[in-house]
Amino acid sequence: MVTFTLNGRQVEAEEGSTILEVAETYNVKIPTLCNHKALEPAGLCRLCTVEVYDGRRTRFVTSCNYPVWGGMEVKTDSEDVIRHRKMIVELLLARCPNNEFVKGLAAEFGIEATRFKLEEDDCVLCGLCVRMCAERMGVSAISMTGRGTDIRVETPFQIKSDACQVCGACESVCPTGRIDVREIAKYEPRPLLSDWEVGLQERGAAYMPFPQAVPLAAVIDGEACAHVRTGNCGVCREFCEAGAIDLDMKEEIIEVEVGSIILATGYDLMDPSPMKQYGYGVYPNVFTSLEFERLSNATGPTGGVILIRDENGELTVPPKSVAILHCIGSRDVNHHEYCSRVCCMYALKYGHLIKEKVGHETKVYNFYIDLRCFGKGYEEFYRRLQEEGITFIRGKAAEITDQAITPEEEGKLVVIGEDTLLGKRLRVPVDAVILCMAMEARSDALDVGRIFGVSQGADGFFLEEHPKLGPLNTATDGVFIAGACQGPKDIPDAVSQASGAAAKSLALATLGKVLVPSTISWIDPNICAGCQTCIGLCPYTAIEFDARRGVSVVNEALCKGCGSCAGFCPSGAAQVRHFNQKQIFAELDGVMDAISAVGI
Amino acid sequence: MEDYEPTIIAFTCNWCTYTAADLAGTSRLSYPPNVRLIRVMCTGMVDPKYVIKALLEGADAVLISGCHIGDCHYMNGNLKARRRVKLLKELLPRFGFDEQRVKLTWIGASDGIQFAETITEMVPKLKALGPNEVRNQMVL
Amino acid sequence: MAKIAKIEVKEQNPLNSLQGFFKTLLEQGEISAILVPQHLPMKDVVMPTLVTDPEKLNGTDPLAPVFPMNAAKLVSRLTGKPLGGSVAVVLRPCEIRAFIELVKLKQGRMEEVILVGIDCLGAYSNVDYPRFVGDDGTQATLRFCQNALAGKSTAVEDFDLSPACKACEYPIAENADVLIGLVGVDINQQMLVKANTPEGEALLEKLKLPEAKEPDGRKKAIDSLVAQRVAYRDKMFAETTEATSSIEKLTSYLANCVNCFNCRVACPVCYCKECVFVTDVFDHEPTQYLRWAKRKGIIKMPTDTVFFHITRLAHMSTACIGCGQCSNACPNNIPVMELFRTVSSHTQKAFDYEPGRSVEDEPPLSIFREGEFLELTGGKE
Repeated sequence: MVTFTLNGRQVEAEEGSTILEVAETYNVKIPTLCNHKALEPAGLCRLCTVEVYDGRRTRFVTSCNYPVWGGMEVKTDSEDVIRHRKMIVELLLARCPNNEFVKGLAAEFGIEATRFKLEEDDCVLCGLCVRMCAERMGVSAISMTGRGTDIRVETPFQIKSDACQVCGACESVCPTGRIDVREIAKYEPRPLLSDWEVGLQERGAAYMPFPQAVPLAAVIDGEACAHVRTGNCGVCREFCEAGAIDLDMKEEIIEVEVGSIILATGYDLMDPSPMKQYGYGVYPNVFTSLEFERLSNATGPTGGVILIRDENGELTVPPKSVAILHCIGSRDVNHHEYCSRVCCMYALKYGHLIKEKVGHETKVYNFYIDLRCFGKGYEEFYRRLQEEGITFIRGKAAEITDQAITPEEEGKLVVIGEDTLLGKRLRVPVDAVILCMAMEARSDALDVGRIFGVSQGADGFFLEEHPKLGPLNTATDGVFIAGACQGPKDIPDAVSQASGAAAKSLALATLGKVLVPSTISWIDPNICAGCQTCIGLCPYTAIEFDARRGVSVVNEALCKGCGSCAGFCPSGAAQVRHFNQKQIFAELDGVMDAISAVGI
Repeated sequence: MEDYEPTIIAFTCNWCTYTAADLAGTSRLSYPPNVRLIRVMCTGMVDPKYVIKALLEGADAVLISGCHIGDCHYMNGNLKARRRVKLLKELLPRFGFDEQRVKLTWIGASDGIQFAETITEMVPKLKALGPNEVRNQMVL
Repeated sequence: MAKIAKIEVKEQNPLNSLQGFFKTLLEQGEISAILVPQHLPMKDVVMPTLVTDPEKLNGTDPLAPVFPMNAAKLVSRLTGKPLGGSVAVVLRPCEIRAFIELVKLKQGRMEEVILVGIDCLGAYSNVDYPRFVGDDGTQATLRFCQNALAGKSTAVEDFDLSPACKACEYPIAENADVLIGLVGVDINQQMLVKANTPEGEALLEKLKLPEAKEPDGRKKAIDSLVAQRVAYRDKMFAETTEATSSIEKLTSYLANCVNCFNCRVACPVCYCKECVFVTDVFDHEPTQYLRWAKRKGIIKMPTDTVFFHITRLAHMSTACIGCGQCSNACPNNIPVMELFRTVSSHTQKAFDYEPGRSVEDEPPLSIFREGEFLELTGGKE
């Protein structure tokens, strides 16, 4: 440890640390442009200059790379220092007179105008981008070229670099916004879109999954993370004070022994792109229901302000009129015949939110087939919305177009449909359209079902054991289903089902033992000839051979009662309880007796 | 034989075809009333004896129907059933039982319509075939 | 290349030489016992005997044209569990094939057994054999062998060899460990001894028999014998198919079946300890008989006769090796073998299965595969 004076105060610091680092720990602010936690100090911008007195004379040093030593006296805000810094900033202002960042910096130092010759640049030559690319990314796609007044940041030969990995680290550290990775990279950068915001917002490779995530901890997208991909970077580690980032984590398979499993894998929202008539993906202001949900959400990309896209595609404009199209993909023989059940109610909610947030004068049109407001308080909500002045048009919208045929349709999206109650065709010009997309089974439902022995119904959703008597159970004992993986349902229904599934699953777990089904196989040891064919046929390896008695024996805990053994056993030694041969024959005799009595 | 109504005994697996038949019922699908279901847990437990006995008792056809291959609730019971049906199809026609009198189908739990269609298709074919000869024999 | 040796025949009595061979086998073959048919001293019948004393082989007559039971069942009893020593079993080809089927069904083991097969010239039924043999004993056997090998008629008075034997296309036990060859061989001079397996070769090594070559005429003689039998078989298939082609015909074919189940007891591949037809599954309620009768106004008693035979066909026709013991055992002269062999020819072909060929072949109903028999469900999985 060394002791020295910092602005007249005795401070202690680790040997080898720099003045800038020590100042930071003592909350003494030293301005800097070119310093970055993740990079070696370079002393390039010289804005961090401080005054060091060694007992004999005073020197001006760059604090970012000047190591501390015992007995030194450091002044970070002496008049000389400030004058020195002002000069640097004034020179920067002359270099970048129009750059907002530099102007702000100048304002901080009280500089209004520069005395020097004005240039037109945006680069302050801090070198952060070049150092980041070289030191952390190991690429060096850009470097400082030229000398003296000609020094600048460039790619070799000033051609677009194919060494550049388009990570954008240069852009992210550039204080002035001068660096644009598009000018550097040969390849087009691809934005990382937030899944949570249904692509309405970009995110980094390290990000918070969503605001209510439990645990509320950041995750790293291994497919995008430069460290995971190349072994370089790791900048995030320098910033995480908790030291919580382990970039060398390996994928591991964790085996957990459990007594029961609940499948709550949810649903997919149907992709509207193939339904060309609704112009999703063509007209920027056609949104899916989930996109609109994010737009109206307080934690969403617009902070809960309902905005639609301007001509640049940015979410900036409050809509004056919105059409909500119900049953897109649901109740449609061409797509899904079932009703998605939740759309009517969220469509009503959207109408309400638009009226409340954008303003009562905003027009909201609902194009519906039937309004199915079946839940508790739902019908009342519908009635309230009618009173709020929302327009309900009974008739599924046929098409959305931007081809105006009247002046008021100019620049609008026109919903073409029919009011079947009036028997009139309609063209409704609106600013934005919300498509209430069908809920459909997840695309991986088949694979997941195979793993857990759960089959899918015709609609693709997981099949419950029985629609009335076993709505939470599946064909596999101990595997339960909850939520939209079983079929479209709203939150109250999903919560009830999930609570039920949790209770069923706990009931199994706390019991501590498994009740085996009564319908399992049994092999009569007096009849079994010990041919062991059943052992080879059993899919559950539930049959063992008892060599002493020379007979095959069913392990009742493993047997599921499929009867593969019974279907083969020629002597009838292996039989399934409750489906034994005597019972089947009795059933058959009964059927045939009855048929012979009545003729059919 | 105009008023002849064939009798079909169907051994249906609990998980697929029996459920499909249930679905056909709850979906109010109509199909000929000539079928009697005997529920089994899996087609893999259908002993060839059951089929032989049904035909010897005068059934005009026996339908064995279970889950599609790959969907068997017990993994592969239907594969075993298929071999046994193959055997019966070799055996029974030797004694004049028309090949159509034993039928194997895979009808999934959601295929209520297919179940109804299967029965609807079978009945006229069986009518054309005429009654099972066993009905006139004093034999079992 | 199979190792071939010969048994030299003295005094034109192949039986004596065969007895000598068995004696050597028991003395030098390092085996505990030999299972071989002998004329029983108390009555002139031929029965399998288990012999450990070389001096007790004097009545040995594996060439006698009779086999009162399929000895595969006996070998199964000997080898079902560890025996503590190996046993040589002298069997007909059909018995060996039946035993192989039983081994697949874990009713016997190959480990402690040396299969000695003898070219089979056929046998008379249990009823006809006493009429054939009279009190001639081994002399009748020799006479029969000479006749049969010379291609002369084996018919005596109003009877001939059993139809099963006449229709048997497997006269040569090619899958025995040691094969004793008669067909195409001058048995007044020698008999062939051929080792088909390493076990058989090891045994032959110990016996130090003179080496020999397969006579040129043997293959031709075998082909001609098989051709003759195949012709008989195919005729039998055609006749039986016709006689059972409808349920009415099958009913009359089996009309005098009394459900004695002798056929299934005699059947070597019916391996069940207890036939399902004698278990309580078929212990019908008395009222059920009445209901059955009421359906048609009349029902043949005992019931379940046709049902029994079709079920037995379902159970074991793929394994039927055609020994004909079922017919032999039938008290009412139902041509059971003819029916079973005819149907078996179809079921075995359906699964491309040849019973008794090798223990490596898996019985058709003990396995299953994806993608097979798609025609049953309209060509789709």
